[in-house]
Amino acid sequence: MTTLPSPDAPPAPGHPTLRRALPFAPAAALVLFLTAFPALQSKPYPLHMGVILFLAVLQGSAWNLIGGYGGQYSIGHAAYFGVGAYAAVLLLVRLGLAPWFGLGLAMVAAAGVAAVVGSITFRLRGPYFVLASIAAAEILRLGALYFRNFTNGAEGFVVAEVPALHLFGLSFEFAGKLPFYFLTLALAVAAVALSRAVLRSRLGYALLAIRDDQDAAQSLGIDVPRAKNVALALSAALTGAAGAVFAGFTRFVDPNTVFSLTDVSIEMALICILGGAGTVEGPVIGALLLVPLKEVLRNPRGLVTLGLFPPGSSLVGFVQHHLSNAHQLVYGLLLVVLVLFAPDGLSGLARRLVARRRSASPAAASP
Amino acid sequence: MTLFLQAALSGVLVGGVYALIGIGLTLIFGVMRVINFAHGELVMLGMYATWVLFSHFGWDPFLSVVVVGPLLFLWGALLGSTVIDRVLGALPQNQILLTIGLGLVMSNAVMLGFTSDYRILTTSYSSSSFELAGVFVSRPLLYGFLVTVAITVALYLFLLRTDAGQAIRAMAQDREAAQLMGIPVRRLSILAFGLGSALAGAAGALIAPTYYIYPQVGGAFTLKAFVIVVLGGMGSVVGATLGGILIGLTESLAAVYVASGLKELVVFALFLLLLLVKPSGLLGRTRA
Repeated sequence: MTTLPSPDAPPAPGHPTLRRALPFAPAAALVLFLTAFPALQSKPYPLHMGVILFLAVLQGSAWNLIGGYGGQYSIGHAAYFGVGAYAAVLLLVRLGLAPWFGLGLAMVAAAGVAAVVGSITFRLRGPYFVLASIAAAEILRLGALYFRNFTNGAEGFVVAEVPALHLFGLSFEFAGKLPFYFLTLALAVAAVALSRAVLRSRLGYALLAIRDDQDAAQSLGIDVPRAKNVALALSAALTGAAGAVFAGFTRFVDPNTVFSLTDVSIEMALICILGGAGTVEGPVIGALLLVPLKEVLRNPRGLVTLGLFPPGSSLVGFVQHHLSNAHQLVYGLLLVVLVLFAPDGLSGLARRLVARRRSASPAAASP
Repeated sequence: MTLFLQAALSGVLVGGVYALIGIGLTLIFGVMRVINFAHGELVMLGMYATWVLFSHFGWDPFLSVVVVGPLLFLWGALLGSTVIDRVLGALPQNQILLTIGLGLVMSNAVMLGFTSDYRILTTSYSSSSFELAGVFVSRPLLYGFLVTVAITVALYLFLLRTDAGQAIRAMAQDREAAQLMGIPVRRLSILAFGLGSALAGAAGALIAPTYYIYPQVGGAFTLKAFVIVVLGGMGSVVGATLGGILIGLTESLAAVYVASGLKELVVFALFLLLLLVKPSGLLGRTRA
């Protein structure tokens, strides 16, 4: 979305500030359109899809910080998602704390868990790191299932009502899809902006160096543990926010959903890797592709709601009866195909195709 | 004391089957340097194959090992030669993603075919047991353990006495040197993946009478197999054997003395602790 001009491109005409802002124009236009979108139509289903999509962008960008930039392939981000979800719900159910503070505290709680998990797992590399990250998330899932007095066990919590938020004398109701649409849109935009800011910061350069060669990075004086832990804390805080909002949106939290290995941990990595890990736009592209696919397979009635298929369509019926859990099958196939044919994601694949075409016809390269 | 002996004995019996799963994983890692995150799903396929043979043809699960093992060998060899072979030199994270993907494909394909219902395989001797000095020994667990011992002994003989076994051990020590000595590395890699899958499938057949059978059952075994293999040192067959029994014991004792709902949590917590203290495993020399 926010592609930078290559250094050798001819300077765009106009004022310097305008020139620097120009590459952001498509992104700004997209955000503007998405902000105005609910005013153009008010059906609940497209808004619902929007929320799911923005959450996916938020989660993918969060994972990208540590997995994409830092090359630390955590398959245990469900730990932070789940902690965020439980923190927000427990604060609401037990203490009646307003969701605004719940969201903030959920982020803090997730970052706190990340500090503990990071201090253990970041001493490990490669497969050992992956295993340790999975084990950490599983420990939280099993713990949430077991300690019923605190978490209500496998039953989880149903959130009857999310109280209204009072801010600057205004009151925001958290009923219906609309408030969640704007909240998740804001969070997704913030996450993409943050991941761009990190990429161009000292931290970002440190992370890229660690990804490429950890030993070389260390010998150049980069504080490797610090860079990894800061990136994980940011990543976990964003993931925790996603978990908290998800719990408020679905009004339900249980261990097997929010600490799920497939539907949270693997999905987050897949969103990012599908689009292109280590790029700002990767998680956005990944979410745009994966979310509609998953939603169609999980809830094909949505297509009828949108008017794309007639009610009683035999295709919709087939998908609903036979493929309702098949989004995981599709995730599996996608992972296999991606690793075999496009290990650097779709944006990487596109870049390679363009490069191949350019090198094939050098005359076409110069306009 | 009886309680302790009882828990320890069931722990060792279950641990024997865990060892079989772990040996398969460590064999694949030793020879191919690939971390197989779909290992538990191979166990799950073994369980379903056994269940189908039992419920449709009335085959005893401990006899159908003879069919299920080779069946999984073929499936493993197919996966090894078509998919795994292509990522042998790739980044470890790509291998991990690939095998995670394969695992998802297997478990969800089984779900499409058999639904997500829990299946139970009940034999005539499922709930019977021997009594030995006040300690009860579950029949299916004991049979499973005995078959495990037989398979393990056969595997050790194969690895120690045959040319192919020696070549596999040579590859586990130094893949490039083995290749330079004229060992057909690619063919043996496929053989190793097949063998590892067969061991996982055999383990699935042996535990089918004592576990619930459902498409997602593999995930827990994958993680447990890793704990076992890391415990014994990646690539070490002896280590995996001991690691399996140790994990079986830990689970069983944790279920009695901590809480049965926490036995897996205890295992994972110990695993993280072990990774921190001695990442090369209890028997391991170096990390690959």
